[in-house]
Parts: sequence; structure tokens; C-alpha cells
Amino acid sequence: MLSKLLSSQILIYNCILFFSFSLSVNYFVDFDILNYIAYVLFHLTLVYLIFYYFNFYLIFLSFLYGIFFDVFLINNISPHLISFLFFVVLFYFTKKYLLNLSSNKVFFLMIVITLIMFFSEAIFANLQFNYPINFENLFRLFVTTIILFFPSLLIFSKIDKL
Amino acid sequence: MALSFKVKALSRSKVLKNIFLSSIFLLSFLLILFSKSDYFIVNKIKTISNTFFHPITSFIVAPVKLANNLQNQFYQFRNLKFENNILKEEIMRLKKWQALAVHNTSENRVLKRLLNATDNSISLVKTASLVSRNDFMYNKMININAGIKDGVINNMAVVNHRGLVGRTVDTSITNSRVLLLTDPNSSIAVKTISNDNNSLLQGADDGVHLISSFSKTEIKPKVGDLVVTSGNAQVFPTNILVGKIVKLTKNNFYVLPFVDFKNIDYVQVIETK
Repeated sequence: MLSKLLSSQILIYNCILFFSFSLSVNYFVDFDILNYIAYVLFHLTLVYLIFYYFNFYLIFLSFLYGIFFDVFLINNISPHLISFLFFVVLFYFTKKYLLNLSSNKVFFLMIVITLIMFFSEAIFANLQFNYPINFENLFRLFVTTIILFFPSLLIFSKIDKL
Repeated sequence: MALSFKVKALSRSKVLKNIFLSSIFLLSFLLILFSKSDYFIVNKIKTISNTFFHPITSFIVAPVKLANNLQNQFYQFRNLKFENNILKEEIMRLKKWQALAVHNTSENRVLKRLLNATDNSISLVKTASLVSRNDFMYNKMININAGIKDGVINNMAVVNHRGLVGRTVDTSITNSRVLLLTDPNSSIAVKTISNDNNSLLQGADDGVHLISSFSKTEIKPKVGDLVVTSGNAQVFPTNILVGKIVKLTKNNFYVLPFVDFKNIDYVQVIETK
């Protein structure tokens, strides 16, 4: 199990996760597109890992990243934690159905899950901590996701072949 | 024998997985609950992440920060001549104001001595520089390099040369987080200079303006009125510049803060003497 966790692909994916997380929580005022790209990349990588490299350690990873995202971006714990754990556990219980889907359907599902994640985080932040739902931000995230989805999938498939 | 061992091991691993899953959910539920009730465990997590985890993330993105700074310097260098002319004009203007200010200060000192007035001015706790910003997406917060060891505690006012920036929250030994005025969850007691209209301000949805949430009197302020802290909530000292009223609606008014929140380099943590 440990050797599986320490495989080169998983290590690279974890590096991507940590680097994109670090970029997301350090705001670059004059270059905020970088923050959007990193935030989207983190979510896409997590969703990709959930679909293709599901392991129980992912639940723990989602738990940790959920807490740190919440602490840095909201200063309270909840929206990211709930959203990440919900989707990881949802996959855990439905994987036997999801793994039968064609690759096109899986890609479509990944993009939809990523977008729902952004929206659910915004809704939780609004309901629990009174942060207004910023539709401009959400629109930027949606556009960045759509632009970034296929290039990142290409990179991921290259990593998979390592 | 081998088959029964395999079945037992599988069922044991399933039980372990279920226990792990349940404990993660229980822990998450407790953290969310404590986060709402401001429990000390959550504060501890915030402090640890601020003190130990955030420097690691800053180190990871250091090359990106460097590239960003180089790009900014390049743009500044390109506009050097134009900015130089503007600064020359500003220096001329400020010199006139400086002469007036020096005269008023000495006059003020003499008058205070004559009246035997108590000096209720503010005292500086620490001047700190910006370490990193967390105002992407949801909250509006910055991290500064002053903490408990410098005498900074929670709920101290933070200002810069333009006016009120915010207040300290989550102070650790070496760092503190500052909740900016533009955060929707920040609330400050203010008054207008012209007619002492007391009200509460909080961050507006656009992340730029402040919106009044409560007004003490029926008298409406005017567009262009200056807004200063009233000192009512006893968090902020009195008469610190906050901003200018730019828009009036039926029940609220919008204030544009004097501080440019996108260009904060140094701040001062202050307290009332």
C-alpha cells in the first residue's frame, strides 16, 4: 500500500496539489489570473485523483486541504471541507456505477463536479459566514475551468504514462 | 483455511475503513461546530497554520512572487518619466501644506497647554510590513509580521498613512492577520465629520466600498462627507480617517475608503493611550 502511495505518479499529483494550493492562498494583486488558474487546477487535480487514483488516503488529504483552504481563504472552517469530503465520499459510494461510464462521460462528469464544487463552496460560505456570492468570481472560475480542462487532462495523461 | 483468513482480513479492512471514514466525519463535524462557537482548538489550528504552514506556502511560491515583482518593476520603470512629473507637482503642493501644518501644530500645542487639556492621542504599538495576502475569493485579510512578542493582541486598530486599514485578528507569536475594512464581516462604528451622524459600516458586496448597516439618527449624510471612527464600539480609537461618502440610497450610504487596499506595504498597529 505504501509503495502504491509513493508511486511516481501519485507523488507528482501531490506536488501539483501542494503547489496549486500554495499559489491559491497567496494572493497576487496585479496578477490575480494566476490565483484563479491555481485554484481551478487544484480542484481539477483533486477530481482527477478521485476518479482515477481513488484511495482511502484521498479522504484524509481532502480533509487536510479542506481545513487549510478554509482557514486561509475564509478564516473559518466549513465550506471547502464539506465540499471536498462530500464529493470524495460520494464517489466512494457510487464508484461501481461511475467506473462503467465511457471516458467522454467521465470527462464531462469531472467538469460538472468541479463547477458544482465552486458553486457549493460559494453557497456554504454565504450561508454560514455571510460572504456574498460573487458571480463575477464564479464566472471567472467557470471560464478558467473550461479553458484549463483539456490542457490539464493532456498533462495528466502524460503523467499517467510515466 | 487460506480462504477463511482472506475473508477475515478483508472484513477487518472494511471495518477499519468504516471506522476511518466515521472518525473523519466526526472530526469534521466537531471542527465545523467549534468554528462556529469560536472554540480554542480552531483558534489553535488557525495559529498553527498561520505560523508554520503559511511560511511554507510562501516559500513554495517565492519564484512566482519574484517574477511578479520584476514585472511590476518593469512597468514602473516604463512609466518613470510620467510619474516623476506628477511627483514634482505633488511635492510643490505638499510643501505648501507642510508649512501650514507646522504652523497649526505649534498653535495647537500652545492652545492645549493654555486649556490644560488631556491628550487622548493614540500610541503606536508596532510598525509592520505585509507578509502575504489572503484576500483572494472570500475573506479580505492580510498577514503582517508583528505578533504577540511585539505587544500586538487581537482587536487592535491597524492604520497606514491614508487612514484606517482594519483590525488585528488571530495573532500568533510573530505574525498577525488583519481583517480589512472591506470584509463583509468587519464592522466599524463611524461618524460623519459634518453632522456627527453615527452609524456602523461593513464591507459591501463589491469588495471595494463600505456600506452603512445601521444609522443612529434620522439625519441623512451628504455625498462627499468625510467619515471617521467614532470610538463607540471601543475597538478603534476616535477620529481616524475612514473614507468619503460616495453614494446615498434610501436606507444606506456607501463609503469609498481612503486606503488603497491593493497597495499596502507597511501598516501601523495602534492603541488608545
